[in-house]
Amino acid sequence: MDDKNEDIDLKLIKYTQEGLPLTRTPYKDIGVAIGIPEEEVIQRLKNLLETGKIRRLAASIAHRKIGINANAMCVWKVPKERVDAVGKIMAKFEEVTHCYERPTYSDWAYNVFTMIHGYTDEECEAVIEAIKKQTGLNDYVVLYSEKEFKKVGVRI
Amino acid sequence: MILCDTDRKILHRLQSNLPLESRPFLALSKELGIDEDTIIERIKYMIDNKFVRRLAPIINTQAMGREATLAAIKVPEDRIEEVSEIINEYTGVSHNYLRKGKNKEIPYNMWFTMSAKDDEELNSNLKEIEDRTGLVVRSLPTVKKFKIGVKFKIY
Repeated sequence: MDDKNEDIDLKLIKYTQEGLPLTRTPYKDIGVAIGIPEEEVIQRLKNLLETGKIRRLAASIAHRKIGINANAMCVWKVPKERVDAVGKIMAKFEEVTHCYERPTYSDWAYNVFTMIHGYTDEECEAVIEAIKKQTGLNDYVVLYSEKEFKKVGVRI
Repeated sequence: MILCDTDRKILHRLQSNLPLESRPFLALSKELGIDEDTIIERIKYMIDNKFVRRLAPIINTQAMGREATLAAIKVPEDRIEEVSEIINEYTGVSHNYLRKGKNKEIPYNMWFTMSAKDDEELNSNLKEIEDRTGLVVRSLPTVKKFKIGVKFKIY
């Protein structure tokens, strides 16, 4: 992609990142606002999705507001050679919304991070128990959020 | 204020991609059996009443060439407010939580995610936070990603 192309993509993302126009023809209206035809807006969004620059064109839910009140960050100590297999098992759970391998430090041995969301703490705990059973892992810590200082979507 | 069945149906569908065609809500109306204008109106209602933060492209910071990390700090109890304010000043900080180990003690209590335009900016911001707070910041960037897809069951 040349520079100009990327500039238009950036303009498109910046214009839409706070929310699409809620009209019958949102893509046409975006096009009018940033000066490109509707077809180009659609094509660019398709490309951005295909190249993974945007993950989804979708609703971000205020999960607490709809009753999904519990979240647990559960970190696991996983032997290096088992990380791939374990990561795949964890990712299969619907309640596991994020699953990453991360580095360790002298005071930090937990290398696999799972973010679990549920309607209740019990629901999160049940997922953790199921993961333990399916992976045979036993060294883990459940980190509950005591206070939220900031939570916003990523903006560019 | 609660969501009706129609709202839940719309919300469940909207966690996946909006159709990329001229009349996306008309396409949804055929899928869901709900009138196009009703869908638009209900989305507005859910945004106005903050059930939905927004209907928008969800950016992949790394694919956009940005660098990101999860960072952790051990903050003394009496400095929590002060340190959280310093961290939240950075626009690249999208989440910042005070966390506690439930079944075990952990060495850090404040956890935040930060993105920046490149590694240099990211590291210099983390270093700056260390300098300003006098505390050690542990950076835990992703080594491998197994899942990222915040999609909730809507009851």
